[in-house]
Amino acid sequence: MPPILSLQAITKRYPGVVALDQVDFAVDAGEVRALLGKNGAGKSTLVKILSGAVHPDSGEIRVDGQPVHIDKPSDAFERRICTVYQELSLVPGLTVAENILLGRWPRQRILGLSVIDRGASRKIARSALDQLEIKINLDETVSRLSVAQQQLVEIAKAISFDPRVLVLDEPTSALATGEVHVLHKVVRRLAEQGHAIIYVTHRLQEIPHVADTVTVLRDGKHIGTITAAEATPARIANMMIGADWQRTAWGESGQPGEVKLEVRNLSRKGLLHNVSFQLHGGEVLGIAGLLGSGRTELLRAIFGLDKIDSGEIYVKGERVVHPTPITMKAHGIGLTPEDRKRQGLILVFAVQDNLTLASLDRFSVRGILQSARGTALAREMAKALDIKTPGLGVPTRTLSGGNQQKVVVGNWLNTLPEILLMDEPTRGIDIQAKEQIFHLVRDLARRGIGVLFISSEIEEVLDVADRILIMNQGYVTGEVKPEDMDVEGLMTLVMEEMDHDHDGRS
Amino acid sequence: MTTTAEAKAPTQRADWVRDLLSRSGLLVALIVLFILEALFAPNFLSVRNMGSVLRAVAVNGMIACAMTFVIISGDIDVSVGSAVAWCSSLLGVLAIKMHMPLLLAVVVVVVQQIILHMGAGSIRVKWNVPAFVVTLTLYMSLKGLAKVITQAYPITPFPDSFSFWGQGYLGKVIPVPAVIMVITIAVFYFLSTRTVFGRSVYSVGGNEEAARLSGIPVGRTRITIFGITGMMAALGAVIISSRIMAGAYNVGEGLEFEVIAAVVIGGTSLAGGSGSMIGTFLGVLFIGLLANGMTLLGVNPYWQEVARGLIVLFAVLISVWQNPIRK
Repeated sequence: MPPILSLQAITKRYPGVVALDQVDFAVDAGEVRALLGKNGAGKSTLVKILSGAVHPDSGEIRVDGQPVHIDKPSDAFERRICTVYQELSLVPGLTVAENILLGRWPRQRILGLSVIDRGASRKIARSALDQLEIKINLDETVSRLSVAQQQLVEIAKAISFDPRVLVLDEPTSALATGEVHVLHKVVRRLAEQGHAIIYVTHRLQEIPHVADTVTVLRDGKHIGTITAAEATPARIANMMIGADWQRTAWGESGQPGEVKLEVRNLSRKGLLHNVSFQLHGGEVLGIAGLLGSGRTELLRAIFGLDKIDSGEIYVKGERVVHPTPITMKAHGIGLTPEDRKRQGLILVFAVQDNLTLASLDRFSVRGILQSARGTALAREMAKALDIKTPGLGVPTRTLSGGNQQKVVVGNWLNTLPEILLMDEPTRGIDIQAKEQIFHLVRDLARRGIGVLFISSEIEEVLDVADRILIMNQGYVTGEVKPEDMDVEGLMTLVMEEMDHDHDGRS
Repeated sequence: MTTTAEAKAPTQRADWVRDLLSRSGLLVALIVLFILEALFAPNFLSVRNMGSVLRAVAVNGMIACAMTFVIISGDIDVSVGSAVAWCSSLLGVLAIKMHMPLLLAVVVVVVQQIILHMGAGSIRVKWNVPAFVVTLTLYMSLKGLAKVITQAYPITPFPDSFSFWGQGYLGKVIPVPAVIMVITIAVFYFLSTRTVFGRSVYSVGGNEEAARLSGIPVGRTRITIFGITGMMAALGAVIISSRIMAGAYNVGEGLEFEVIAAVVIGGTSLAGGSGSMIGTFLGVLFIGLLANGMTLLGVNPYWQEVARGLIVLFAVLISVWQNPIRK
């Protein structure tokens, strides 16, 4: 019998990049297939092709062995392929039942008016929830549900279309551990009922709990499909990153100087647990951890964006009791946030105004700006960071991702920081810009700045850091020297710790 | 693509010229309107009429400057009309009924309004209540308070010398309120383009989160804007009281939306983050000239209101068409 769904030699090109390169992929009824890969490996393009949001340039999609075209989302529904996206698409003000049947509410006529048949709605919604064997009040307003419950409602909504293939795009990315278990159970149950499930994830540790088989993509290519039993962290790391990866020779790194930043027993309920570390001037301290490991929360807590429950922060030996971005900036700390568009930049502002956003004090006297000096600062920084822009006066939103990221970093460098907290500075930018960011980070360390560096890509941390903290579910679970490590080793360390913790607490 | 190093440095002195040119649509419309009225409206070009146009728009212009800050910061303030009524009433009560020295009464009125508005701003910031809601509260309660303290009667008389601020002339030609408006615009222009505070206002409205992460005092900036708005409403009330020589509970009705309309016509985006004082000035002039022209031509005042409403829509449509790129 042919598989329910198979893709043959699917290729999709975007300007300047091959997102999917001759990818073969097949999934059977009753199978949960985990789809893995780094950012930009091609996972989301594959999902979009299956949902009809994107067309492949070449290749063939078959359902039950028959070639089909999925040109638009309704074609996918017709073939009973349903996708649940990472971003929830529920209407917060409507009830669970209304959301499950959104836009296709059964109607009835009362006094000649077409109104929603609530009885029929509830019946359909009820059967979808029953299939998942979960208990959620159908009449509850969605905004009152937890994120996990909303995620389940979203799946129930997909189930109400009676899909044969269910695509789940990172369904656990916003969930806490206990909630992840509930979701895994639901997914296993759906597989037992004969649905084929494609489960996109970042969290490798989910694999043994939920998947039968694992497909890894890298640079748009299908690297391999193995069984879940074969999928050890080292094997997966090898498939995701490739054996040919090597650490860059950065030349001599400066001798680490005095302790610039010290954190003692920093805790935030449920998110950070007794985190302690020291950051020296002239060193790059990497944090290796998965999404949800507490790495971003740690940076936010240090920078005073989130309240801390206990613990102490010392900057150059001096205790900072109530950190806020304003006081931390005054202490010589900068933070480049992970989401440059939402948190790092004012997109409508000119490039030069974003480059000097945090350093207005440097070119103002008693609150009055000395614009010429500000422009000079911006111009020097743009030159130093090789920011490609038609001019300093153009709106920042017109720049490429890599150049926008450089503006975010430049904004903080203009404050002359002694400590820079960098949260995913390489996310979603091209290779060349990444290289430039790495060189910049090394260069900052050479100039005596202490850098705390986060990246989702474990090999980037390994490449650029002098020392690596391993974080898991809010704990610092280890510290390693990158020269003693390879990617597989580090990935294993990150995973294994997680599994251990996982079992210990559930 | 070129490297930035060659980017032309924006020169300071050309700033306002560029600003003016970037609002060329409005500027052209203003000039066309001016020429049309000069041709067709009787007595339009007389010194007397020009003076009365300027005096008519002066208070709106002053308050519009503050409103421009409010809207750039992503907020809105619908209380200014009521604040004017309250301040005028309070001035009458203090100076006339309670025989307080006039200057002291003015100071009290201005200071209390700054405090009231900063209080509203603090609530806006502390509990993240939409500015519309806190200022709507102010709008309704100040309107009521004005009636409470005046028992809904105008309070007269102010000393004759007080009429200078609302009715007087400089050099027998230029109305005093017009001079005050021009000074106000100059000060606000400076604040908005040359100060850390001004830059903070744009930042807070452009992306509050990014501003906070860059160490800009978001809350303090918002509360300061509220305080400035209170101050301008109070000063506007002083000028209006001087013009009518009474403390009156019913002045400033509908003023909030006329002011918002002028700011919007001037190209300030309700989404926050962009806008300019020059644009607001042009917007205020445009509305004033239009009203004056229609009056001179004998257009029914009720129809004038309809026309002004349509102009706001038209102005916004033009700016949407000119800048189709929206996030």
